[in-house]
Amino acid sequence: MHPATPPTTGTYAVPVHRTPVRRRRLIRGLLAAVVALPLVLGAAGCGDEKTSTDPNAPVKLSIFWWGGEARAKLTEEALALYTKKHPNVTFEKTWQANQGYFDKLATLTAGGNPPDIFQIDDNYLAEYASRSATLDLTSYKDAGDLDVSKFPRSLWQYGVVDGKLAGMAAGENTQGLVYNRTLLTKNGLPEPTTGMTWEEHIAWAEQVAKKTRVPGTQDPSADYKAFWVWLRQQGKDLYKGKELGFTAEDVTKWFDLWKGARDRGATPTPDVIHEGNATDITKQLVVTGKAATSWVWVNQMPELKKNTKDELGVIAYPGDPSAQWARASMYWSVFRGSKHKDVAVDVMNFLANDPEAVKVLGTDRGLPSNLDLRRVVSDDVTDPAMKQSIQVESDLAQKFGEAPQVPLKGHSKIRAELTKAAESAQYGRASSAQAAEQFLNACKSAIA
Amino acid sequence: MTATATPAAAPAATGPRGPRRSGGQAVRLLILIAIVAVVLYPLFWMIGTSLKSQEEIVNNIGLLPNEFTPGNYVDGWTNFDLSFGRFFLNSAMVSLLTVIGNGISCLLAAYAFARLRFRLRGVWFAVMIGTLLLPGHVLIVPQYILFRSLGLVGGEWPYLPLLIPQFLATEAFFVFLMVQFMRGIPRELDEAAKIDGANAFGIFRHVILPLSRPALVTTAIFSFIWTWNDFFRQLVFLSDLEDYTVPVALTLFIDSTSQSAVGPMFAMSVLSLLPVFLFFVAFQRMLVEGINTSGLKG
Amino acid sequence: MALTTAPGPTRRRTGSVPTPAGRRGAGRARHGDGLAGYVFLSPWLLGLLAVTAIPMLLSLYLSFTDYDILTPFSEVRWVGLANYERMFTADPSYWHSVRVTLTFALVAVPLKLAAALGVALLLNRAWRGVGLFRGLFYLPSLLGGSVALAIVWVSMFNREGAVNSLLAVFGIEGKPWVNDPDWALETLMVLAIWQFGAPMVIFLAGLKQVPTELYEAASVDGAGRWRQFVAVTLPMLSPVIFFNLVLETINGFQGFTAAFVLSNGTGGPVDSTLMYTLNLYITGFTDLEMGYASAMAWVFLVAIAIITAIFFSTGRFWVHYSDGEDR
Repeated sequence: MHPATPPTTGTYAVPVHRTPVRRRRLIRGLLAAVVALPLVLGAAGCGDEKTSTDPNAPVKLSIFWWGGEARAKLTEEALALYTKKHPNVTFEKTWQANQGYFDKLATLTAGGNPPDIFQIDDNYLAEYASRSATLDLTSYKDAGDLDVSKFPRSLWQYGVVDGKLAGMAAGENTQGLVYNRTLLTKNGLPEPTTGMTWEEHIAWAEQVAKKTRVPGTQDPSADYKAFWVWLRQQGKDLYKGKELGFTAEDVTKWFDLWKGARDRGATPTPDVIHEGNATDITKQLVVTGKAATSWVWVNQMPELKKNTKDELGVIAYPGDPSAQWARASMYWSVFRGSKHKDVAVDVMNFLANDPEAVKVLGTDRGLPSNLDLRRVVSDDVTDPAMKQSIQVESDLAQKFGEAPQVPLKGHSKIRAELTKAAESAQYGRASSAQAAEQFLNACKSAIA
Repeated sequence: MTATATPAAAPAATGPRGPRRSGGQAVRLLILIAIVAVVLYPLFWMIGTSLKSQEEIVNNIGLLPNEFTPGNYVDGWTNFDLSFGRFFLNSAMVSLLTVIGNGISCLLAAYAFARLRFRLRGVWFAVMIGTLLLPGHVLIVPQYILFRSLGLVGGEWPYLPLLIPQFLATEAFFVFLMVQFMRGIPRELDEAAKIDGANAFGIFRHVILPLSRPALVTTAIFSFIWTWNDFFRQLVFLSDLEDYTVPVALTLFIDSTSQSAVGPMFAMSVLSLLPVFLFFVAFQRMLVEGINTSGLKG
Repeated sequence: MALTTAPGPTRRRTGSVPTPAGRRGAGRARHGDGLAGYVFLSPWLLGLLAVTAIPMLLSLYLSFTDYDILTPFSEVRWVGLANYERMFTADPSYWHSVRVTLTFALVAVPLKLAAALGVALLLNRAWRGVGLFRGLFYLPSLLGGSVALAIVWVSMFNREGAVNSLLAVFGIEGKPWVNDPDWALETLMVLAIWQFGAPMVIFLAGLKQVPTELYEAASVDGAGRWRQFVAVTLPMLSPVIFFNLVLETINGFQGFTAAFVLSNGTGGPVDSTLMYTLNLYITGFTDLEMGYASAMAWVFLVAIAIITAIFFSTGRFWVHYSDGEDR
């Protein structure tokens, strides 16, 4: 037996014969050096280079977006059009799928070389804008260099964070309830309609479940966009200024509404609801056949259609449709430190307002923001699912209400917390009130 | 074929008792096949899915496709402006260079730790183990900032930030692995070499290097496979489609909220298993042959 | 264990003599190694200084700040111990993730190692086709954490999945495993154990290093198979067992990939698979609280260092090195 040698500081501890003071000073010195190094080196790269005044000087813009192969082809084509008209401007294009997109964008930003132009969504717009990572586009808008005069007013306003225009809507979408039309017709059931109340929707879903043995609706209590529409119909909102726009009682009521629906058998079991809570197109219950309706965005219809043989229909979320708004499905933003801000803004303006470019881009990022061009593009669409979603969204546009403010920073955390709270109610691990309270507490620390 | 090692090594590989009776052999084979079937079911499912249509992948959870769709392989291969083969080449290059980098640099470091005596050795070893312990996700951003300030990011050849660390033995896993293996080599061999007049370099060259084959082979296998599968670092440091590697390219098929080409993604995932599987089978042969140290001593 | 433990405990035993302590036998005579040691170590040292140490120290510094990735370093705010305080006093999901991780590691690591060692022993002998079998057993590990793997695993372990079909054959009613907060972590463990290829290969390589003559000698002495396993295989394999134990423990605690893949990066349902590192990743990248995430990482490092240190200190009781330094 070896004598007991207490391995207190770890057996491979730093030798103890050095004086602690010296070591501490050493560590502090090292830390300071380490922190200073990138700063010094970084500063060298960030010197304010004079923006060339020569309009024909060669400019290389970096541009970064997420999406699939189809989007990449269209975007590259549209950018090529720009280069054709402005031969001095070329692009360094980076695209990837949404997985890891914001991780990479944040890392690039931290490294001091974010792309000149990048795609962003309302989840992160406030995060980037409030840290001044995005260029304020207000002066460009006022000068007409960024022309939003043909945009629906609420659409471009949905890019304003703290009074600054942080992003330009790259397309419009709105909440859409997609249902399985084939299933309903086969069983002689009525199709749901826009304007049904929430109670009517649930009663309808119960009827579907009884008749077809397929649950009528996915329980959307974990879905922030459904919760948001419902709140607006109660005269509340997700956010008001820097605060939450709702109370624990509202959340309890919302959870109770869906507890009722579950108890009546209008929705699937919690494990299936959990599957559908993923935002992935391929996991939506309406295409996996595990429910008759899914809560999505209207412009996701064509992609949903590719995953099922059944006919699909789409309407607004239940309740008064004026609670919905012209939402920017995504934005283009310019990095505040870009060396070619003016050109970058001009490119954005081109992507939104040039007839040829808009025609190329089509409805890939949502309906075109420019209303005149939207009409032209809509007439050209041949895909029936796409036609249908454009039709529905255009009809709804007549009823849209004012846009809410862009979600606060911390929004993505709040979304995750809503899912967690709603699911703990669904799995029966907490009552509606307990789950609501848990959610409220989490929200408060998320936006603090 | 892999079973027939060199004649000298064969007895070593058959283990303590020499060749076994064929009855036991058959029973063992049956057990193995049963285990393999269970272990590999998910992979069969994956292959089955790579032959399903998009609609069926979402709705048919069974093993076999109702409607045989081999077109996924063609679609996947030609889905991008570049052929998918380009990503294979990129990945193969990065992975092979990583194998070389790790093999050389980690072996040198491991020899120092395992066999040589120098000041602060214990401290350095502790630091080396320490570098294994910090979760990598908090290092990505500082590392990116550092590499960028050193001018390594986005150069003409974008793989530098992925490869330089590998040539500097930063994968402590492999250093530690090799140390453990080297410590299994009897020190009498060193002593014998020293009597013959060898210094530290000579011992490394003539004793340690030849006997480190199992460790080197293991390192090669893991370096290759892990690099082949590494997503996050390659995503962060590569920005041009034509530089993308297989793991990054595979995610391009599915933008979960808009476009999804699940079938082609599965097809390319199945294909991307082939090179690593072949690499493994080729290299593991070297693990079949046992080491007979007595020959060296004799 | 002289390599690691000796400089510590040995020095304490012999009365803290600075440098030459811990050397013994042949080692004592060789002073010429100093230069050679650093020559061989130089690539690693360079890597440490240029690649590893600076980011590590930076992350240590950031753990005392409110760093959010998007704000430049020059503007980060020093918050002292606030991140550490929050972790220990005000963050229930942090402690939840600690519990999840401990449960996971305690179950999955031993089972994975047992599976790896068992299969390695089965596949150690040379026979026709052994290479193919090794490859087949390694295949699951080749999948890493790919998108395809996520889909495969979720499809097998949901309510209609293959696992439940198999159970139904035996008349057992299945669960929605991966979609059930009571069973999702267990599903995660199965996934981790399933990918036992890496420790298996290391065991195989270790078995190859056992000198044949030891078996021959044991055979001559009349030792049976079990006796040979206990007296020859296990001791000779102990450095490799030790390596696998240490590394798989570290791996098990880090266990990011499986959790990320299986829960779509959320740790759900209801945080049942919220592993420590997944929580850290979400905090750092999704919630953009990288300062706080860095603090989590350093607490993790200290905790794992203590566990590793315990392994190293027990190692000298059971790990046998042929270089003779453990005696």
